[in-house]
Amino acid sequence: MAKKPKDYKEDFLHQGFDANRTDYNRRGYHLEVALNVNQVRKFAQTAYDLGFYIVFIAGLHVRPDEEQDKRNSGLEVVYQFSRYDQLYRIKGCVSVPNTHKIPSISDIYQGADWHERETRDFYGVVFDGHPNMKPLLLAEEDPDFHPLLKEEEKLKSLDEVSWPSEIPEAAKKEAEPETGR
Amino acid sequence: MLESEYQEHNRFFLNMGPQHPSTHGVLLIVLEMEGEYVLDPQPVLGFIHRMHEKMGESRPCQSFMPNTARMDYVCALPYNHGYVSLIERKAEIEVPKRAEYIRVITSELNRIASHLLWLGAYLLDLGAFTPILYGFDDREHILDILESITGSRLTYCYYRFGGVYQDIDDTFIAATRAFVKRLRKRYSIYEKLVTKNIIFIKRTENIGIVSPDMALRYGMTGPNLRGSGIAYDVRKNEPYSVYPEFDFEIPVGEQGDCLDRYMVRVKEIEQSLRIIEQALDQLPDGPIRAKVPKNIKLTPGDCNFAVEAARGELSYYLVGDGTSTPYRLKVRVPSYSNLSCLPELGRGILLPDLVSILGSFDLVIPEIDR
Repeated sequence: MAKKPKDYKEDFLHQGFDANRTDYNRRGYHLEVALNVNQVRKFAQTAYDLGFYIVFIAGLHVRPDEEQDKRNSGLEVVYQFSRYDQLYRIKGCVSVPNTHKIPSISDIYQGADWHERETRDFYGVVFDGHPNMKPLLLAEEDPDFHPLLKEEEKLKSLDEVSWPSEIPEAAKKEAEPETGR
Repeated sequence: MLESEYQEHNRFFLNMGPQHPSTHGVLLIVLEMEGEYVLDPQPVLGFIHRMHEKMGESRPCQSFMPNTARMDYVCALPYNHGYVSLIERKAEIEVPKRAEYIRVITSELNRIASHLLWLGAYLLDLGAFTPILYGFDDREHILDILESITGSRLTYCYYRFGGVYQDIDDTFIAATRAFVKRLRKRYSIYEKLVTKNIIFIKRTENIGIVSPDMALRYGMTGPNLRGSGIAYDVRKNEPYSVYPEFDFEIPVGEQGDCLDRYMVRVKEIEQSLRIIEQALDQLPDGPIRAKVPKNIKLTPGDCNFAVEAARGELSYYLVGDGTSTPYRLKVRVPSYSNLSCLPELGRGILLPDLVSILGSFDLVIPEIDR
């Protein structure tokens, strides 16, 4: 516990990720990493090499961007990692392409296995390279039923459910690595 | 007969659960066996899946409160705590000090109740019948105390955004102090009955060793992680509520076997008692609930809040869209990650050892299935 808290932004920037510090007191995590599909595995590997543990993988259904409609399915997958030795949470976020496929990280973090299967159950995201992409929490008889997909009229665009962009900018100045809240 | 033929001949599948006393709920584990040895245990989940996350995003955030207690019903108050704290962080609600103290006292009482229930149930799995009677005897006192202020014995819905439902009274304080005193006197009974029992030690020592690297790969938390020697506790590492004001320790094990996980939980009971004592001594006066708008607007953006439940780190992750209904509510439950290591941990062990490992993990199935 006596160890000085470290900020991991540079480590992720160094690996070529788009990493931004966030206001921990409002969001509950320290670093936000925007990923594209090809970076997912490298992101997980970097987190593993730095000694992070996996917290969860979750999905999010938003209205696809009109311009990118052809490429984007409107599904987002959120990864969260944290540390045992200090307070530092990172969030990785990736947009799922229209093929509904993103690479699996279950060989890097074996714990991701169930989280990925759960995300497939709830959203229909298929994790490429997963050894056992079967329903986990939902019934095996109906693998195409995805309860967390929203109806068209309830969908909101990603901008409508994201923090306004000026907040992270303002937070950047004051958000030095901190130990508590 | 060739060796491969012999193996083929002796391999069989065994369904453990969904109705099996040592799976502690409706959990099925499909075991590929060779004689007494487990080759591949595969948990099958979802028997009591209720889709709490969908319910979370289809009603105003206040209406989700009762759901929080129905995931981990053995230790429901930390689930209350995590959820109200999440909304308070999102809506920037200040909570009065007294309310936070009451939350800590009741949460810690609930943690002790959960550990006592686990202690009894685990030993029942290992074939010892008596300890659960002692455990239930002590736990009953906690349930009575909590019932007097929360109104329920198991699925509490006591915390509110900005505070708690009602204030604690002198009867509650006196009963809690009496309970602390009583439980301390009972340690020697448990020690004689269980901790130093040679049969118990033989069933738990060097069995189901979780290495720190394995814990990290599976995202294990709670006493299951601390048994492996990593002092990670959300109450200390990511201090929330008024926990920083109390002096308590994080017990850790050495090698991460079933015995270490047992010892960690037993020692945690004492630490929880210390927190309760300090909180009762320092209990401030004042209001128990802040003024909170009836219709809480959840501003756009995501937000995470983690608390230490009895089984490990519980994270709520919320995405707001400006209305009072969460756009997305993800619940990260500790037992889900803790159990996910079973296929790796249970490979090549004896069937009775698998029962011992499952018990030492302190699983609550409705929490895993959500």
